[in-house]
Amino acid sequence: MRYQRVVNEKELLESLAEPGATILCGGTDVMIKMRAGMMQPSALIDVSQLDSMQGIRLDESTLIIGAATTESDIHKSPLVREHVPLLSTVLAKLGSVQIRNRGSLGGNLVNASPAADGAIPLLLFDTEIELVSAKGIRWIKLEDFFTGPGRTVLAHGEFVRSLRLAIPNAGYGSFYHKVGRRNALTIAIASLGMLLWIEEHVIREIRMAVGSVAPTARRLRAIENQLTGRLLNDATLDAARQLITDAISPISDVRASASYRKNVIGDLLVRALGASLH
Amino acid sequence: MRIQCVINGQPVERDIDADMRLLDFIRETLHLTGTKEGCGEGECGACTVLMNGKAVHSCLVLAMQAANANIITVEGLSDGHALHPIQQAYVETGAVQCGFCTPGFIMATYALLQDTPDPSEEEILAGLEGNLCRCTGYAKILDAVKLAAERLRASE
Ligand SMILES: Cc1cc2nc3c(=O)[nH]c(=O)nc-3n(C[C@H](O)[C@H](O)[C@H](O)COP(=O)(O)OP(=O)(O)OC[C@H]3O[C@@H](n4cnc5c(N)ncnc54)[C@H](O)[C@@H]3O)c2cc1C
Ligand code: FES
Ligand code: FES
Repeated sequence: MRYQRVVNEKELLESLAEPGATILCGGTDVMIKMRAGMMQPSALIDVSQLDSMQGIRLDESTLIIGAATTESDIHKSPLVREHVPLLSTVLAKLGSVQIRNRGSLGGNLVNASPAADGAIPLLLFDTEIELVSAKGIRWIKLEDFFTGPGRTVLAHGEFVRSLRLAIPNAGYGSFYHKVGRRNALTIAIASLGMLLWIEEHVIREIRMAVGSVAPTARRLRAIENQLTGRLLNDATLDAARQLITDAISPISDVRASASYRKNVIGDLLVRALGASLH
Repeated sequence: MRIQCVINGQPVERDIDADMRLLDFIRETLHLTGTKEGCGEGECGACTVLMNGKAVHSCLVLAMQAANANIITVEGLSDGHALHPIQQAYVETGAVQCGFCTPGFIMATYALLQDTPDPSEEEILAGLEGNLCRCTGYAKILDAVKLAAERLRASE
């Protein structure tokens, strides 16, 4: 195997043209997969120190985060805490200090685990990702990026340069909870994030995203639409629980059964809405 | 491949395989065996070292990723005569039993106290969440961190 630390994107594109070449960023997924024999790259192309993939900046009503920025830096960023605080809160629960000091959101998204914690707040903030290849640049909605467990629309030779989060209008409540067996390093059994705008007890806008209960982390647009405009009361909580358990199709695995996951996600939703009701 | 970096203040230069982990570079190439391998998968923290001031699992970093970096291992803390105050505090509070996890905990503590000299109990737990100990039940490790923090603050 070959290792190469690239210093600019031109070099990166040239290196990625090699058939067995794979990007290496923090390595917290890649190193595990190589050890398990799930990945045998002919070359690892290290982007962790590429300047164009680093940093966090404000651009009008959006926040742009470099794909290789570490989760620790994002968690601590004053811009993130001011404009999209839920992202900082969620990253505080991803892995451990050592993992966050290496791991990146580019890696978290491209790895495309149905349990990826970074994906939940990013979905709620209507994130778009910037994909770069020899053919040019394309922006893809994160919702359209995942195509299955471990699969994305990223083409061979293409890389993620940055993520663009839309800063939401003020006045919302936010919620995130992941259920797992232990706090640090927990691979979620089920997770739910929500942004909620309430006015005079009416749901003005609601956004929901779930992890570990579908082949990919995803938004629940249909339920969002059905709950918008409703009075937030106990009847709505019951209806919401029914909607979400009907909408998701979790799997049973070594960590939890499908019916347990349905119950958990229903409880999380009721808790999230209930926090605003009571 | 050729790697150059600084380990415990000393510049080193070696030829290594591209797929070598930082952990193996430290233990096998440089014979610094204080850094331990427990799980090899980022779960136990026994392999924790500082890379450019940040705690990392050396089992999850390629050695070549540490090229030009500044690495500190547990051997780099003491001046060769007295123990470092963090090491001393672990010994005094009985936070060391079999000792396998200790170098990793000490390095995670070092990183924590460098950023947060006066940590709350919650901050200590968060700072050490990447490290596991099968022997002590953590209460004594908490005591060790508090004692070390106190002494380091007093010595400033
Ligand atoms: C002990 C442990 C605990 C963990 N806990 C959690 C957790 O709680 N929640 C969670 O969500 N994850 C967790 N993870 C998984 C992992 O840490 C995250 O997914 C992390 O964000 C991956 O980032 P990375 O930079 O290390 O990715 P890498 O391992 O470097 O890369 C991952 C994948 O992304 C690709 N890639 C990386 N950057 C780019 C780019 N810019 N463009 C194109 N492709 C790219 C790589 O080719 C590879 O396929 C854990 C991992 C470990 C080992
Ligand atoms: S050996 Fe690296 S975390 Fe366990
Ligand atoms: S002292 Fe034995 S594992 Fe911690």
